[in-house]
Amino acid sequence: MIALPGKLVIETVGLKKTYQGKLPTPVLFGIDLRVVAGEFVSIIGQSGSGKSTLLNILGALDVPSEGLVKIDGVDISTLTDDGLAVLRSEVVGFVFQAHFLLEELTCLENAVLPIIIRKGSATQEEVEWIHGLLVRVGLGGQLHKSPDTMSGGENQRCAIVRALANRPRIVLADEPTGNLDSHSGEEVFQLMRQMSAEIGIAFVMVTHDERLAHAADRILMIEDGLMRSIE
Amino acid sequence: MTITTFLPRQIRFEGQLAWRHLRSGGGQTWLTIAAVASGVIIVIFIMGLIFGLQRKFTALLTDAIPHVTVQVPEGKPIPYADLPGSRPGPTSSRSEMQAPQRKNIDDWRTVLSIADTIPNVRTVSPAVAGQGFASKGANPVGVSLTGADPAQQELITPVTRNLIAGHYIGLAADEVVIDYELAKDLNVGVGDRIRITSISGIPEPPRIAGIYSKGQGRGSAYVTLRTGQSMLGIGNSVNVVYVKVYDIYGADAVAERLAVLLDCEAKSWSSEFPNFVTSLQAQAASAYLISGFTLIASSFAIASVLIVSVQRKAKQIGILKSIGARKNQILLVFLLEGLGIAVAGSVMGAIAGIAVVYLLSLPKQAVTRVGGVPESLFPLMLDPLYILAAMGAATLATLLAALLPARSAAKMNPVDAMR
Ligand SMILES: Nc1ncnc2c1ncn2[C@@H]1O[C@H](COP(=O)(O)OP(=O)(O)OP(=O)(O)O)[C@@H](O)[C@H]1O
Ligand SMILES: [Mg+2]
Repeated sequence: MIALPGKLVIETVGLKKTYQGKLPTPVLFGIDLRVVAGEFVSIIGQSGSGKSTLLNILGALDVPSEGLVKIDGVDISTLTDDGLAVLRSEVVGFVFQAHFLLEELTCLENAVLPIIIRKGSATQEEVEWIHGLLVRVGLGGQLHKSPDTMSGGENQRCAIVRALANRPRIVLADEPTGNLDSHSGEEVFQLMRQMSAEIGIAFVMVTHDERLAHAADRILMIEDGLMRSIE
Repeated sequence: MTITTFLPRQIRFEGQLAWRHLRSGGGQTWLTIAAVASGVIIVIFIMGLIFGLQRKFTALLTDAIPHVTVQVPEGKPIPYADLPGSRPGPTSSRSEMQAPQRKNIDDWRTVLSIADTIPNVRTVSPAVAGQGFASKGANPVGVSLTGADPAQQELITPVTRNLIAGHYIGLAADEVVIDYELAKDLNVGVGDRIRITSISGIPEPPRIAGIYSKGQGRGSAYVTLRTGQSMLGIGNSVNVVYVKVYDIYGADAVAERLAVLLDCEAKSWSSEFPNFVTSLQAQAASAYLISGFTLIASSFAIASVLIVSVQRKAKQIGILKSIGARKNQILLVFLLEGLGIAVAGSVMGAIAGIAVVYLLSLPKQAVTRVGGVPESLFPLMLDPLYILAAMGAATLATLLAALLPARSAAKMNPVDAMR
């Protein structure tokens, strides 16, 4: 498709990953990826092809075996542990297949949590902003419910708001609709597209859903440890 | 308002999460709190028992003896060769200078006023002490003589409460109080006159004013200070000053002070009973050892529960890291959790420990002496100092136990944790 003009928020060059277990498992053989600000990219590939592996590396949850990874212009291999934590806090947001909300907290508390982790407490305005987002995604009535009393779709929508809490530049979504029925999945996807367009956040979404994948700006496929563009 | 309102803003989130962990931990939280509390209870009990027993034994031992005895140092025999003016070179002589007599304390009033300035000193009694013979008719019997003001001496070596007959307080110049053994040997009773002689003094024929029994061994014959001075022939001086202190374990320090201030020999009761003091120290050491092992054991229990709890929270730790939590924040969450357990456990342990010690001190011993006050079966002692020390040590042990799991939580790899 069209190469969007704008700042590169993700750039990898020759990214390789081999898991060092009893038997070394090579997964990624040299990925070159460029994502610009506000872009919505979907990644497809067979199970075990390394999609989650790639996303974890892009989100600084894991480290590459080889190659360059620049997130928002910063080479992440130069960052300390705390530097990586700041990156995860301020630059990237994560949405996983499972919602991964904390059972001990309510929906609203979960969504505000990244702000509190970043700076100790949230201001009134910040809480109101999160509150507004939750209302927008249809959770106005669930604010003080605990995740285990909410539906899968509701939890996933809450998780998306949490990923947006610190106004990141990038949201990495690993099969965010994987656990949802097609209707809720569609809703969650539309929500992500809207946010991407409105706030100007780049989305990288891994999905098995062909239809959703095709609704993105760009589709990439991982095959045999390498990345290629579709269409 | 929650408990975390009191935390500084920067760590309120960590405190809140730790608090929620503790609350959601339920039975496990109570288990760890109970482990800390039992540690504290055992420490308070052991300390209370050992130090209570020590205090009782020490009181029994030192109740009826002087705590510090001040005397002028005894001169040592000087070999002839070391005498000033003796001819140099080898001598065949084994002759020695005669040992000087134990000197008297002439300015004993100064001694009293100096002793009174030492804080721990409770009471002081100037006295004369020496050996003599008591006789009634035929065979003389050896006797220790103590001449002192009865009211003062009573506070040092109580006589009145051991009296079988007669009186001690208000002793007249021509009266003596002797012990039961001596009265039996001389076959005399209250009101009889006996004869007392010493090497240096004037023989006196005092009347027996009272007879006492210590229950074991022979005791002194007590006369007034003036009579004693004349019997032993030492004029207006005394040859010993007895001191009683408030804090029995501070007697050594008082003796040292006196020795320095007065340039004389001051012996504390503990130097008379070195074995007793050593056994006290050994007991204290074993109390500390038992306490230490107890706290170590309970911190192992706490550590193992916390390690399991951290492993169960692996997923949560991964989530927190994925949304930006720093290592130190995770570390702090689990340390605060440990702190919560430590504080709750040591406060509850202290309350329970005090209750246990109090309840155990209730049963009383049967009274063995007429007019005696019933004593506790367990002479337990509660000292705020070691209760606080037990709480502090337990808190420290718990925090150390929490450190290991907290560090492993902080180091956890977020991807592994969430898998
Ligand atoms: N920690 C690990 N140690 C060893 N091998 C691993 C580890 N994590 C993943 N793998 C292997 O790496 C390969 C890629 O895994 P990954 O989870 O990235 O696949 P995926 O494309 O996300 O698959 P799916 O669509 O099923 O989620 C798999 O073969 C997997 O077994
Ligand atoms: Mg995957």
